[in-house]
Amino acid sequence: MSVNQFQTQIVLSRPYLTREQIKTAQKNTIPDRRSYNQRRIMVFKFLCDMCTQFKFPRRTLETAMYFYQRYHIFNKFETEICYDVATSCLFLSCKQVETMKKITEICLESLRLRGMLKISPEALDNCKKRVIQLELRILETCCFDYRINQTIHIDEILCKFGKELLLSYDLCHLAWLVAFDALKLEVLLMVPQHTIALAALRIACELSPDVTWPNVRYQLFESDESSLNEVYFDLLNFYINVFELSDLKDNLPPGFETVGVESFIQLKKSAGRERGLKEPDNLASDAYITKERDFSIRERRYVLSRKRINEENLPVKPPPAKKEKT
Amino acid sequence: MLRNEYTKEKRVGEGTYAVVYLGTKQSNNRKIAIKEIKTSGFKDGLDMSAIREVKYLQEMNHVNVIELVDVFMAQNNLNLVLEFLPADLEMIIKDQSILFTPADIKSWLLMTLRGVHHCHRNFILHRDLKPNNLLLGPDGQLKLADFGLARNLGSPQDLLTSNVVTRWYRAPELLFGARHYTGAIDMWSVGVIFAELMLRIPYLPGKDDVDQIDVTFRALGTPTDKDWPEISTFSAYNKIQFYPPPSRDELRKRFIAATENALYLMSGMLSLNPHKRWDSIKALTSQYFVELPEPTTPEELPKLGGK
Repeated sequence: MSVNQFQTQIVLSRPYLTREQIKTAQKNTIPDRRSYNQRRIMVFKFLCDMCTQFKFPRRTLETAMYFYQRYHIFNKFETEICYDVATSCLFLSCKQVETMKKITEICLESLRLRGMLKISPEALDNCKKRVIQLELRILETCCFDYRINQTIHIDEILCKFGKELLLSYDLCHLAWLVAFDALKLEVLLMVPQHTIALAALRIACELSPDVTWPNVRYQLFESDESSLNEVYFDLLNFYINVFELSDLKDNLPPGFETVGVESFIQLKKSAGRERGLKEPDNLASDAYITKERDFSIRERRYVLSRKRINEENLPVKPPPAKKEKT
Repeated sequence: MLRNEYTKEKRVGEGTYAVVYLGTKQSNNRKIAIKEIKTSGFKDGLDMSAIREVKYLQEMNHVNVIELVDVFMAQNNLNLVLEFLPADLEMIIKDQSILFTPADIKSWLLMTLRGVHHCHRNFILHRDLKPNNLLLGPDGQLKLADFGLARNLGSPQDLLTSNVVTRWYRAPELLFGARHYTGAIDMWSVGVIFAELMLRIPYLPGKDDVDQIDVTFRALGTPTDKDWPEISTFSAYNKIQFYPPPSRDELRKRFIAATENALYLMSGMLSLNPHKRWDSIKALTSQYFVELPEPTTPEELPKLGGK
């Protein structure tokens, strides 16, 4: 078989990025930040309604939100298709976390929730087609990296950590609600789920009048100080800015009815200087985030370890030289 | 412009969701198999088997589990690059020109169990173990393949489907429609494969799902409430024929060449009650692997078409 000459690219999966990296990449994909943020809130509500309708567990929603936000780091945000993107994200997340549903059911519900009263077979077919087309693109955007959103999910690991740290049921319940608000934030793209769970537990502890956050080494939970701070401050800022719109506000559990914006302002005051993940120095020169992804390259390869790329960059060994007669 | 990294040289098979090609990885001339996933024509988008295959093979790197070398998109098709393995255990079992020694059987079983143990310690259930999915490398190493039905163990409250594993290798709890199960279902399949290696014919070849229950219990006895307390909670249980369990002597007659330790291990893996069934650690540390003969080294195992 003859060897065709065509372009190939190899991309290393980087499932988590820093805040600045995300912003830099989004410069290529999100022309109007305000419109994106508004839609994101609407899409989150839409996904919540879908999940409630199908009685999906929270991990399905969490994974869909990760996919949705991840998609828009490397693909143009367009208001016309964002609900289709969200539907496809949910469809894929169902496969990812084993809460399978037929595409017809997902699309019917998606169209119904978008206000379509009479759904013609054509409209349904078109929706299905778009969802399937987008599915592969979403996976490509994630570099087919299944290591994340796989076994660890915020709500489940939060309960386990809570138990390990001997925290009360009510406190864990509060943390569980805080973690629900975290799903709306870009922090999902920055740190792994178990770190978000730890940060939510820390906030819940600090909101409890007579509990102090146990002085644990985050390394014991496979996490670290700066990742945890990233989530911690992000959540505090979220509640300080839009507590009124948070889900926590309307669902405060017994014993925590007095929690409000003031409580979070207080927490932030006592936490000191805002800190989090260190931003890398090479922001401007990192082609992974500054260059738009080119999905027209014919062979697009995705790998999980840098070792594999390094191996391929090694010069190809020349065939052994024939021994010269002496 | 660069040369493409993978070439597809020969089409070697076609499944429901993929076409398999033989090819070469250009940068190091390694022989590889490429599974091109069919993305069009599927009602439900990307096939779940493809997703599972990538998902679980990415997690594992073990000499007895097939290696996922690469994942790439080409012309809008998803391609999985797997290591190239020319034969499978089913071919070897069916090839009448090959004679198996007890040491060969021990070697294949050992490699299978090592692969299964690696899956289970990573909380992954294979759910489709059968000779056809145990591939053999040119160096004789046996590797678990086809993770299209695999899934992680999940939370205790997760409901799993009982419609898994090829019928002849399906554990009794699955035959009864259990929605919660563990790695014990894989261990059952390994037990049946072990028996098949000794008999050279399928051990429990049920004609259909109902017949499978009958065939299984005729060979191994119908479980009772005494040795499997929850058994009567399965609705199908009351409709089945009762068979007495086989005596050790009957088993000895069926498996003439097997040693006592081999029979003990096989019976352990074929315990009807999944709670009592041996797990991979117990099987791997059994006396069978300690007694002589030593397992044949992989390079010396029989190959297709003679040594």
